[in-house]
Amino acid sequence: MPIHDVGYRGWDGKKTSPLTRWKIITYTGIRLALRSRWVARILFLAWLPVMYWGVGFFFIENSLKNDSTGLVSTVSEAALGKEIASNAGLTGGSRKNVARIVRRQYKMIPNVEVIATALESDDEIKTRNTVWGWLLMTFFRYPQGMLILFMVGSIAPALVAQDIRSRAFLLYFSRPIGRLEYMIGKLLVPTAFITMVTLVPAIALYFFAIMMSPDISVFWITWDIPLRILASTVVLVIPVASISIMLSSLTQESRFANFAWFAVWAMGHGAWVAILFSVAVGKRSPPFNPIVTNDPVSLRWSSLSLYNNLGDVQAWIFGFESFGQIYVSALVLAGVTIFSLLVLYHRISAPIRV
Amino acid sequence: MTPLISLQNIVKQYRTQKALAGVSLDIPPGITGLLGPNGAGKSTLIKLLLGLVSYSAGTGTVLGHSIGQAGRKIRSSVGYMPEDDCYIAGMSGVEVVQFSACLSGLPEVEALRRSHEILDFCGMRQERYRTIETYSTGMRQKIKFAAAIVHDPELLILDEPTSGLDPEERESLLNRIALLHREAGKSVLISTHILPDVQAICTDVVILSKGRVVLQDTLANLNRTTSPSVSFRVLGDHTSIMDQLAHQKLEPRLQPDQSILVESEQPNLATAIWTAASETGSVIRSLIPAKNSLEDIFLQTVQESHRADS
Repeated sequence: MPIHDVGYRGWDGKKTSPLTRWKIITYTGIRLALRSRWVARILFLAWLPVMYWGVGFFFIENSLKNDSTGLVSTVSEAALGKEIASNAGLTGGSRKNVARIVRRQYKMIPNVEVIATALESDDEIKTRNTVWGWLLMTFFRYPQGMLILFMVGSIAPALVAQDIRSRAFLLYFSRPIGRLEYMIGKLLVPTAFITMVTLVPAIALYFFAIMMSPDISVFWITWDIPLRILASTVVLVIPVASISIMLSSLTQESRFANFAWFAVWAMGHGAWVAILFSVAVGKRSPPFNPIVTNDPVSLRWSSLSLYNNLGDVQAWIFGFESFGQIYVSALVLAGVTIFSLLVLYHRISAPIRV
Repeated sequence: MTPLISLQNIVKQYRTQKALAGVSLDIPPGITGLLGPNGAGKSTLIKLLLGLVSYSAGTGTVLGHSIGQAGRKIRSSVGYMPEDDCYIAGMSGVEVVQFSACLSGLPEVEALRRSHEILDFCGMRQERYRTIETYSTGMRQKIKFAAAIVHDPELLILDEPTSGLDPEERESLLNRIALLHREAGKSVLISTHILPDVQAICTDVVILSKGRVVLQDTLANLNRTTSPSVSFRVLGDHTSIMDQLAHQKLEPRLQPDQSILVESEQPNLATAIWTAASETGSVIRSLIPAKNSLEDIFLQTVQESHRADS
C-alpha cells in the first residue's frame, strides 16, 4: 500500500465554471500534439521564412530611406560582390531599382505590378502600407500556407478519429460537457497551431519592420496592418480547422483522415490547374502561368481550389482585391465551413445516439 | 426514503424498435443491481439516466433533477463507468483520471492531487505513469473506476465493472464499491451479467427484460424462500442420510453444488436432520437456512416475461 494512501475521501471544493470546460479539451489536445516531433519540427520551420521576409522588409525600408545610410549597397556588395550587386540593381539604392527587381524576380506573384507601381510612387506612406501589406500577404499565402497544410495534417486527423476509435466519447459526454463544447474544444486545437504558424510570426515580422523603419511614428501610419494580419488569420483558421476536424470525425482511422485532408487541397487545386492547362493547350498558347493570369477561364474555375479561395480573401483583407472580385471565394469558404460544421456536429452526436 | 432514481412510464423508441417500453421504477439509496439479458435495454436506460439520449414518453428524475432537462446537473453529480474501453490515446493513466476530474469541474492542480489519491485508493501504483494503451484489461478497469469516482459523485453508475478481472481483482473492486457505500455513503447502480457480484454487494435488484422492469425488490426479500427450508452438506457419502430423510417423507434434493436441500413445513426440520445424521453415522459439515438462488430467480423471471410476450 502506498505510504500516502488515505483511502477514500470526499471532495467539496469549488468547481470551475461550466462555460470554460472546452478549454480543458483544447489544452489537452495541444499538450498531446506537442509531444509529436513532427509538430515541433514544423513549428521550428515556421520561423525560417520570417528571416527571408525580414530581409525583404530590410531592403524596402532602406529603399524608402533612399538608402541614405548606404546600408543596402554595403550589405549587397559585401554579400554578392560589387559587380553582381550592381547588375542586380541593388546598388544605387533607389526605389526604382527595387521596383525593377520586384518586377523581374517576382513576376509569378499576384499583384506584383501594384507593388512595383507603389515603389515608384513618391508617396512614402502609401508605398510603405502597400509594400508591407503585400509582403505579409505573400508570407501568409506561400510559406505559411504550405506549412499549415503539413501542420494541420499532422495534428487534426487524430483529434476526433482517435476518440471514435478509443470510444473516448463516453469519457467526455458522461461528464457535464455538451457536444458544442466538445466541438469548440477540438476546433481550437488546430486553431492554436495555425495561429502559432501564421499570426505569431507575422506579428513578429511586423514589429521587425517597425524596428527597421526610420522612427516609431510608422506604427501610427501602419496601425491597420496588425488588424489585417489578425483578420487574415481568422479567415484562414475557420475553414481550415472546420474541414480538418470534420474529416477527422468521418473515420476512426486517422490515416484515412490524413489522406483525405491532403486530397481535399491537392485535388481542388489540381483540378483547377488541369482545366487551365487544357485550355492553354487548346489555344496553343505559350507556356502559361496559372497564378498571374487574368484569363476569364482561370478566374471562373479558381474557386475549385480552396487554396486559391483563401488567397483571394486574404488579398481582399490586405487591400489588393475588391470584395466584388472575391465574393465567390468568400461564399465558397463560408459554404464549406458551414457544411463541415454541420457534418461534424452530426458525427459527434452519432456515437451516443444509439 | 426518497428514491435516488425515479422513473415513470419511460418509453424510448428507436425508429421501429422500442428499447424501453414503459419503464417505471424507484431506486432507493444503496447498492442496486441492474440485471437483464442482452438487449433488455440496460445500456439505453443508463444513457437515459445520464441525460445522453432523449426519451419518447414518460417522466423521471435522478438525484431530484429531471432527466430530460437537467442532463448536465445529473452528470456532474453522477460517476459513470462505461463497459467499453474508453481512453484518450497517448495519455498516461493519471492524466486520464486528471482529465476526467477537470471535465467534471475540478481545478487542474486539485484534479491532479485528487487523481493520485484516488489511484492510490484503487490500488494503482507506478503503472499510473504509463500510457494507457499499454495497460492490461484489469488496469483499464481500475482507471475507468478511478475516473468515475474522482469528482466525488453522489451516485455511481457502473456498467459491467468486474468484466475481464481476475478473481482477486474482482473481489478487491467489489470491496471498494461496498466500502464507498458503507463509509462514504455513495449509492451505486451496477449493471452486470455476473450474478454473484450482485449477490455479494447489492441491497436491491432490478431485472429488465425486453425494455420493461419485470422484477424489482430487495435482495433479502428475493433470497427468502416460500417455505422453510434448510441446506446442508455432509462429509463423504450422502446416500444413506438422504434415504433416511426420504423415509421420513422430507424429500431431500441433491443440488448441483453437492449440498442437500430439504423443504418442509415441519417445525423441527433441523432437529430431524441432525437425528437422521446420528442414525446413519453421517457427519454434517454445514447446515444453513436455504436461500433462493439469484440465478434461479433471474432465469425464472426472464423466462416468464418471454412467455407472457409470446
